[in-house]
Amino acid sequence: MADLEIVHFAEQIKQANSDKTTIQITGNQSKVVLFDEDNNQQPVHELNISDHTGIVEYEPSELVVTVKSGTLLTELKQVLAEKNQMLAFEPPDYGSSTIGGTYAVGLTGPSKPYRGILRDFVLGTRLIDGQGRELNFGGKMIKNVAGYDVSRMLVGSKGSMALITQMSLKVIPLVEEVTYCVDMPEDEAIVLMNKMAGTALPMSGGAYFEGRFYYRVAGEHAVQTNRVGVQQCTNEIWKTLNPFRPELAEGEKLWRLDVESTHPAIPNTIAVGMGGTRRWVASRNKPNYPYVTLWQTRFSPRNNDTPRVAHLKKGLRDVFDPNHVFKQL
Amino acid sequence: MDVIKALERAIGKSNVLSSVEACRPYECDGLSAYREQPMAVALPETVEQVKQVLTTCNQYKVPVITRGSGTGLAGGTLPLKDGVVLGLSKLNKILNVDPLQRTAIVQPGVRNIMVSQAVEQYGLYYAPDPSSQIACSIGGNVAENSGGVHCLKYGLTVHNVTSVTILDMDGTVSVLDEKDDGIDLLALLNGSEGLLGVIVEIKIKLLPKPESAQLVMAAFNTVSDCADAVTAVLEQGIIPAGLEMMDKFSIMAAEAFAQVGYPTDAEALLLCEVDGSHDQVQADAERVADILSAKGAYKIEVSQNEQQRIALWQGRKNAFPAVGRFSPDYYCMDGTIPRSRLAYVLDKINELSEKYGLKVANVFHAGDGNLHPLILYDANIEGQLAETEKFGTEILNLCVDVGGTITGEHGVGVEKLNAMCHQYESPELEVFHGIKNVFDDTGLLNPGKAVPTLHRCAELSHMHVHNNQLPHPELERF
Repeated sequence: MADLEIVHFAEQIKQANSDKTTIQITGNQSKVVLFDEDNNQQPVHELNISDHTGIVEYEPSELVVTVKSGTLLTELKQVLAEKNQMLAFEPPDYGSSTIGGTYAVGLTGPSKPYRGILRDFVLGTRLIDGQGRELNFGGKMIKNVAGYDVSRMLVGSKGSMALITQMSLKVIPLVEEVTYCVDMPEDEAIVLMNKMAGTALPMSGGAYFEGRFYYRVAGEHAVQTNRVGVQQCTNEIWKTLNPFRPELAEGEKLWRLDVESTHPAIPNTIAVGMGGTRRWVASRNKPNYPYVTLWQTRFSPRNNDTPRVAHLKKGLRDVFDPNHVFKQL
Repeated sequence: MDVIKALERAIGKSNVLSSVEACRPYECDGLSAYREQPMAVALPETVEQVKQVLTTCNQYKVPVITRGSGTGLAGGTLPLKDGVVLGLSKLNKILNVDPLQRTAIVQPGVRNIMVSQAVEQYGLYYAPDPSSQIACSIGGNVAENSGGVHCLKYGLTVHNVTSVTILDMDGTVSVLDEKDDGIDLLALLNGSEGLLGVIVEIKIKLLPKPESAQLVMAAFNTVSDCADAVTAVLEQGIIPAGLEMMDKFSIMAAEAFAQVGYPTDAEALLLCEVDGSHDQVQADAERVADILSAKGAYKIEVSQNEQQRIALWQGRKNAFPAVGRFSPDYYCMDGTIPRSRLAYVLDKINELSEKYGLKVANVFHAGDGNLHPLILYDANIEGQLAETEKFGTEILNLCVDVGGTITGEHGVGVEKLNAMCHQYESPELEVFHGIKNVFDDTGLLNPGKAVPTLHRCAELSHMHVHNNQLPHPELERF
């Protein structure tokens, strides 16, 4: 039986093709205001997925959940927690964030270097392309190499190539996690968090904030508090860092830097996250590093692709949305 | 000047093979049923020479089939008569190891096992471990998104690569990095089977070696009991490092080959390995043993030391050659299925086995649903290979019909082009062709592989009528 919501979405997209209007896909706009009806300059039509919600299929023993993209992260996490499972990529929740919006921006939390990034856990997507065609890529299997990996590729596409209506995600068992902290200089903490990640200690978080090195350990592990200066603390720190709030920059511009985990301390850093791979810098001027994002709007694009990569991305957009119906951010 | 001379001039005569004898080793990969003699084989020694090969072939409009170690099982590197095989085996250097950052930068021809050997001194290893890891190359692993016994816990190749450098037919270099903004081109390259670019450098993650590992072996009276037991283990929050299941024929063959004490009276055998910290492993091994016996395992053995653990693995690791001793040839399938459908699928495969009169052994990566039926046949008996392929196609269609896929880790290559028609509808296939065209508008990179033409699928669906008996099997359908 055809899903009426899907049919309706597809009709809107087809309509936009014939009307030559632009579509802005939105969820709950928890990260950024994308569509403001009163302040609308262009003929942009909003396509909102926040009512397209619900768990489609969830079989805990297969370690896979299939969910409609408007589903709230809070709801999804709760459904999984009831079966002692969780999302491995710890998506930041800005209050009413949906799984679709999280996929669109490709956001991962503190566990990134230890468990992987959001796209690592995407197994399949159902989507509607720019011509209003419903397509299926990937599936519900952990292993699948039939065809190009479109469902992982579209992570981070920000609604610019297709409307993702549903996705299947690999989930992992819920584990008990404990956080430890120790005061030390930033440079030393960066080295230490890297060293520790190379040991058998089952780490699931490593960060530096306000003069302290924090690390989180999952499951059974050796006693930590016999190390010099180490004490157990609450897991709150991970909520402070994820999602990271621009207010912490105290009036300066906030920059998100992605660097190698061992990169030495960077001036004006207010927090080191993700085992050293993420640096939050508060400064008026843009730090001079290759992977820098201004985080005021939480996900403004960097646009520093080489001409060849920019050409590839443009070409791929044309494959999925030849008439450029979906709005570019 | 012809293309062979141009290649010789560009990268040196000694790096170009063109005689029939010299090209012979390149006529097939691990899927030896498919063979073709290439026009020439280019074996560049540097990235600059790879670029020369590509620009030269581009100039002469000659197809390029990139090849690593040639261990692929789907004919992904099957040559074309009028094409050049671009062999990357001489690009075999580990360029950098950073033990603190836990990364390595390698050339594509580096063999998988070499990485783990090179970083062992730091207590690190490279997690993806395809069975062919002694021979297969990292470049080939990326092209196929290879898995391995441990991928349920530690991921596939795509999860363990942080950056790749690729060349297109113009020789233009692109670096695709996980730190890049926007859509994930790095993920797209993994598993793209040499159609989107030539991979010349790869940055990979290294993991700390687990402190400890233990193997639990359990024997069951029925396949469905065994599958249910696996379900129970995963439901209880344990992610085993390895979780392998074998059917009766495989158990018998493996035991005859390796003599490690597998119970040959069992209908299904489960090997479940847990790893991690000493404390965690001990706790998990005990829990696994308890769960399995509660779920009806009539015999359980837990490895007591490293030697015993490795010994118990020997049967499973040699299952393919062990089964191979019972037949002149075997054909290895690679479908995936939801575990809950395993008993049903194995029953169906047994029915098909009777229908075709061909024996089948099944080994199953139970954790991730990857089923490897091995069909036994004799290529010297006329028509038996064709029958085997038809049997194989029916198995793959069955996998798709229960919600699985046609290939878990071996790739499509040329072997599963027909099965792709069953897995995907035309619009998805159109998108795949569109993606190919964006990366390679010359169409010269590994043409005809991985994605079937719409024409082929249309023809196939018209032909499906008569009990899967293809009319005019002599016609090429590429």
